[in-house]
Amino acid sequence: MGMRLLTLFALLFCFSNDVFAQTEIDKGKAIYSRLCAFCHGIEGAGDGPAAAYLNPPPRDFTLGLYKWKSTKFDEYAPSDDDLARMISGMRSHDSIPGWDGMNATSMPGWSDLLGKEEVSHVAAYLKSLAGYDNAPKSAIDLSGKVKADSASVERGKTLFKDRCAECHGVSGRGDATKKLKDDWGARTWPRDLTEGWTFRAGSAPEDIYARITIGIPGTQMPSFADPASKKMMTDAQRWDVANYAVSLNESEKKPSANPVLKAMKLDGKLPDGPADAKWDKAAISGFYLFPQIFVSSKSYTPSVVSVSVKALYNDGEAAFLIEWDDPTNSMPWDQKALEIADGDLFPDSVAVQFPSGQLKPGDRPYFGMGGPKPVTIWQWKGPESIEEGQRARIIDAKGVKNINQRLADGLLTANGIYDNGRWRVVIKGPLKGSDKDPVFEEGGFTPVAFALWDGSNGDTGGRHLMTGWQWMTFEKQGEGPSYLWPVAAGVIVFCGEMLWLFSARKKD
Amino acid sequence: MRLLKFVLTCLFFYLLLKAPGLFLGKPVPSSLIAMYMFFIVITVLLVMTITDDGAEKLFAPIRSLVEDPSKKLIRNVVFVVVPIVCGYAVYDSGEKKAPPTELRAVHPAPPAIVKAYGKTFDLASIGNPFRKAEKEDPAAFKAFVKEGSEVYFKNCFFCHGDKLDGKGHYAHALELRPLPFTGTDTIAQLQESYLFWRILKGGPGLPREGGPSISAMPAWENELTEDEIWKVILFLYDYTGNTPRSWS
Repeated sequence: MGMRLLTLFALLFCFSNDVFAQTEIDKGKAIYSRLCAFCHGIEGAGDGPAAAYLNPPPRDFTLGLYKWKSTKFDEYAPSDDDLARMISGMRSHDSIPGWDGMNATSMPGWSDLLGKEEVSHVAAYLKSLAGYDNAPKSAIDLSGKVKADSASVERGKTLFKDRCAECHGVSGRGDATKKLKDDWGARTWPRDLTEGWTFRAGSAPEDIYARITIGIPGTQMPSFADPASKKMMTDAQRWDVANYAVSLNESEKKPSANPVLKAMKLDGKLPDGPADAKWDKAAISGFYLFPQIFVSSKSYTPSVVSVSVKALYNDGEAAFLIEWDDPTNSMPWDQKALEIADGDLFPDSVAVQFPSGQLKPGDRPYFGMGGPKPVTIWQWKGPESIEEGQRARIIDAKGVKNINQRLADGLLTANGIYDNGRWRVVIKGPLKGSDKDPVFEEGGFTPVAFALWDGSNGDTGGRHLMTGWQWMTFEKQGEGPSYLWPVAAGVIVFCGEMLWLFSARKKD
Repeated sequence: MRLLKFVLTCLFFYLLLKAPGLFLGKPVPSSLIAMYMFFIVITVLLVMTITDDGAEKLFAPIRSLVEDPSKKLIRNVVFVVVPIVCGYAVYDSGEKKAPPTELRAVHPAPPAIVKAYGKTFDLASIGNPFRKAEKEDPAAFKAFVKEGSEVYFKNCFFCHGDKLDGKGHYAHALELRPLPFTGTDTIAQLQESYLFWRILKGGPGLPREGGPSISAMPAWENELTEDEIWKVILFLYDYTGNTPRSWS
C-alpha cells in the first residue's frame, strides 16, 4: 500500500512539474509573440519582418546556437543566467550611450518592460524552441585570472600574433585576411579590438577571456580551450591574450556625449599628410555614424561605427585629419581587398560638409547635402587604379538632386594612408574661398558634418555612412583660459573694500 | 540678526525656485532664476529697510565688521575671501564657450492642408480610414495593425526603437533624438491626421520653428503608400496602448 501511494505521489509530482513547465513556456510564448517576433520571427527562426535590415541578423532560436554564452565550449546550451542576461540587457561597463542591450546590435535590454519572472518565461520558451532541457548549466571558471601586468600583456601580444592576427589583424583592428560568414550565411567582420564599446557583451578582461575560452558559436571565432584545436592555449595563456586585447582599447576614440571639434591654430604650413608631428597638438573628437537611411539607395548594414577627427588651421587654410578603422583598403588591384569585399568593390571615401557662405545664427542648411540653403563638401576618394591615384574634389550641393562638382585644382588637397586596418586621411582646403565656400571665423562655431564610404561593404554614391550637423570651433591662437579679467575683478573688489575701510576710519 | 533674517529669506525663495529641478527633475531655467532672484533680493531689501531703524539694524553687522577693532581677524578673512570669490565667478563665467543652441518646437502647428499622392489632404477633416474597423470588424483591424507593424519594423525601428521608446540602434548618432511613441506626451496628445502629416512630409516638411534642417525624419511620401502610413499609425497606437486625440 505504502509503495503504491509513493508511486502515485511521484507520478503526480512529475506530472505537475511538467504542467508547470508547460504554462511557463506558454506565458513565455505570449510575451515573445508580442515583443520579440518582429525581429526573431513568429516561429523563432530569426526571420521576422525586420530581419532583412539587420547586421548582425536576429538570432535563429530553432538551432539553439547562441553567439554569447558563459558555458563551456563543448556545451551547446547557454545557462539560464546567460539567457536572462541576453534578454534583460547587459549594462556592460563600456557601452554605446543610451544602449543597455547588446552593443552595436539592435537587441535592446528588456528589463524596463519585463520583470525577472517574465524574462525567465521567455527564456523557457526559447529553450523549448531548441529542445533544450531544464538541467542547470554552469559557467566557465574565471578563478585563474592572471594580473594584467606588463609581462602578461607582452606574453599575450606574442600569442595574439600567432593565434589571432590572421582574422583580427596584427594591430587588432579587425583587418582580416579572410572573408568570414557565420553558420547562417550572414557576413561577419572580425571584431576591431581597439573599440571596446562595440563588444557585444562588454570588454572587461573577464568578457574577453570568456570569448577566447568558449568561442563564438556559429562563427569562425573558435574556442581556444578546445584540446582538439591546433591553436589551443592554456588557461593562463588565454588570460594573457585577454589582458593584451584589453590593452588595445583606444578609449579616446569613443565619441563623447556632445563632441565639439576644436581646430588649433598653427603658424606656418599645415601638414599635407597624416604622418606629421603637428597633428599631435590637435585634440581628437569622435563622432558616431549612422547609415544613410533617408533617401534612395539606403544602407542598413554599416561596417564602421565612428570616425575620429582632428583639425588644424592657419591664416589661409584649414586641414582635417580623419581616421577610421576599415578591414580593407578597397583598392581594386589589392588581392586581399578583392577577396574580402562584400559584392562589388568600390573605392573608400570620406567627406566633410559645411554650410556655404556666411551663416545666419540658427539657420543651418539641411544636414543631408543641403537644400534651398547650399552646402560645400570637401571629398577625398581612394584610388580606383594604381595609375589614377587618390582624388580630391569640392562639391557644391543644394540637395541630393542638385549637385555640382567644382574643379579642386590647387584649392583642395587630400591625402590618405592605409595601414593595418586604419585609414588616416588629411583633407586641406581654403579658409576663405569664393562666396560659395564656407566662412570660418576665428573663435566662432561652424556646423560641420562627415560622410564615409566603405567600398568593401558596398558603399558608393548615396549609399554611405554619415553624421548629422556637428559643431567645430576655430580656437584663437594661444587661447588658454584667460586670467586677466578674473584678476582684475578681484583687484577692483579689493580696492573697493579698502576704500570703504579708509572712509570708515576717517569718520572716526 | 536682522541680516541673518535677510539672508534666510532670500535663501528660502532661491530654494523654492530650485525645488522643481531638485525633486521633480524639471529645472527652472537658470536665466529665469537669476531674473526672479534679482527682484526678490531688491524687494526683500526694500521691505527690510523701510524704516531708518530697520535699515540701521540690517547693516549693523556689516558696519561693525569694518569699524569694530575687535573683529579685525574676521574682517581680514572676509576682505581676502570676497575678492577671490568674485575673481573665480568671473573666471567661471568666461570659460563656458558653448556652441549656439537652437530653440525648437517638438510639435509645431501643422499646415491646414498637405499635398501628396496627387491629392490634397485637409488635415482638419481627415481621419484614419482604417480606424472604423476597430469596432466594426476586429479581425480585419488586427490584420491592419499587423501590416502596420511590418511597415514599422522595415522602416522606422532603426531610430524609434524596438520598443517604440525612441531608442533605436541608430538613435545615439542623431543630433535630435527620435521621439518615443510610448508614454503619454507624444502621440497620445496628437490626432492621427497630425501623425499622417509628420510621416508624409518628415523633417524637411517642418515649419521653421520645428528645425527642418536638423530633423533626420525622412519624408515618407516617397517611400510608403498612403495606406501604409495609415496602417503604421494604427500600429503605433495599438502597440503603445495610446488612443489618438479626437476632435470631439
